[in-house]
Amino acid sequence: MSDTQIHIIGAGLAGSEAAWQLAERGIRVLIHEMKPQKFSPAHKSADYAELVCSNSFRSDNHQNSAIGLLHQEMRLAGSLIMRCADAAKVPAGGALAVDRDEFARRVTEEIKAHPLIDSVCEEITALPDASFGEVIVATGPLTGEALAEDILKQISHQA
Amino acid sequence: MAERGSQTLLFGPMKPVGLTNPHTGKRAYAVVQLRQDNREDTLRNIVGFQTKLKHGEQKRIFRMIPGLENAEFARLGGIHKNTFIKSPLLLDRYLCLKDMPHIRFAGQISGCEGYIESAATGFLAGYFAACRILGKTPLIPPATTAFGAMLNHLIDDTNVEDFQPMNINFGLFPELEPEITANGKIRHIKGAERKEAYCRRALEDIIDWTEQL
Repeated sequence: MSDTQIHIIGAGLAGSEAAWQLAERGIRVLIHEMKPQKFSPAHKSADYAELVCSNSFRSDNHQNSAIGLLHQEMRLAGSLIMRCADAAKVPAGGALAVDRDEFARRVTEEIKAHPLIDSVCEEITALPDASFGEVIVATGPLTGEALAEDILKQISHQA
Repeated sequence: MAERGSQTLLFGPMKPVGLTNPHTGKRAYAVVQLRQDNREDTLRNIVGFQTKLKHGEQKRIFRMIPGLENAEFARLGGIHKNTFIKSPLLLDRYLCLKDMPHIRFAGQISGCEGYIESAATGFLAGYFAACRILGKTPLIPPATTAFGAMLNHLIDDTNVEDFQPMNINFGLFPELEPEITANGKIRHIKGAERKEAYCRRALEDIIDWTEQL
């Protein structure tokens, strides 16, 4: 897409939510996601927002729990991730747990159907320079090694 | 954790507190919680059993748990690394690299921990970026809200040296103001009431912010 206004690297929970918030504000987004061309040691599915650990988003009580409060604030702010989590909810007492495949499928479908979001399957191996314009790096705890090394190189003079 | 002692798990993921057997009235010695993992309820996950044991050993050991003798394992445990940057040193309050302001960070690489925490920092990065592209001044979420507390954790530069990823928790929120009682005394809010007071204050303060987004 030649008129991309912002690049997002990684379509996990952070990248997907960021893409949605931008697109809902009328901005053209290009997501760069390395799956399914390349997987991290923990990822298996081609979908975005894949939960690789627990299927629980922890307590959903917004009257006495900090994470439950964050859930509620996210709902009030119009979060895509919370809307999909609520839709894919499975019973878990006071916690918000989801059917992980359904959750990821819902997020992926919403992102792919948005007219202002485009995506490309590729691994980004270096921090894009300023000629790219706006960039959000949301590559997660399992950031690809090449990109992690480049980030370290670019920021190490400060650390 | 299990390596630390034969009883350690009883005080951790296998803690039997609050779980009395309704048939016998006795409290269990240890419990294993199986949480529903899909809509059809054909998959269950074992709560709190993060492990880096070899896959064959995981199957062998977990099948020793009464009731799981014939379990089929759809996914086994693994512990992976956690890459994150020293955000309080590197990022400005809009999550931009101070030296390369066209680059923003969000999610666990920015030093939050947890699914919704990641989504929340993604929300903020997306919103802040949208403001810059549209030529608007971004509104910082109030410090008293969970959004604000999470953001502060990432950018509070009093925290640079021992910065570690964190889940959202009330320790990241500003202290509550003590109440003044009807007869003029100062009363500090404590215990369960304290958590409720944090939540009440946050939900009042978040509305102003969300209405202007």
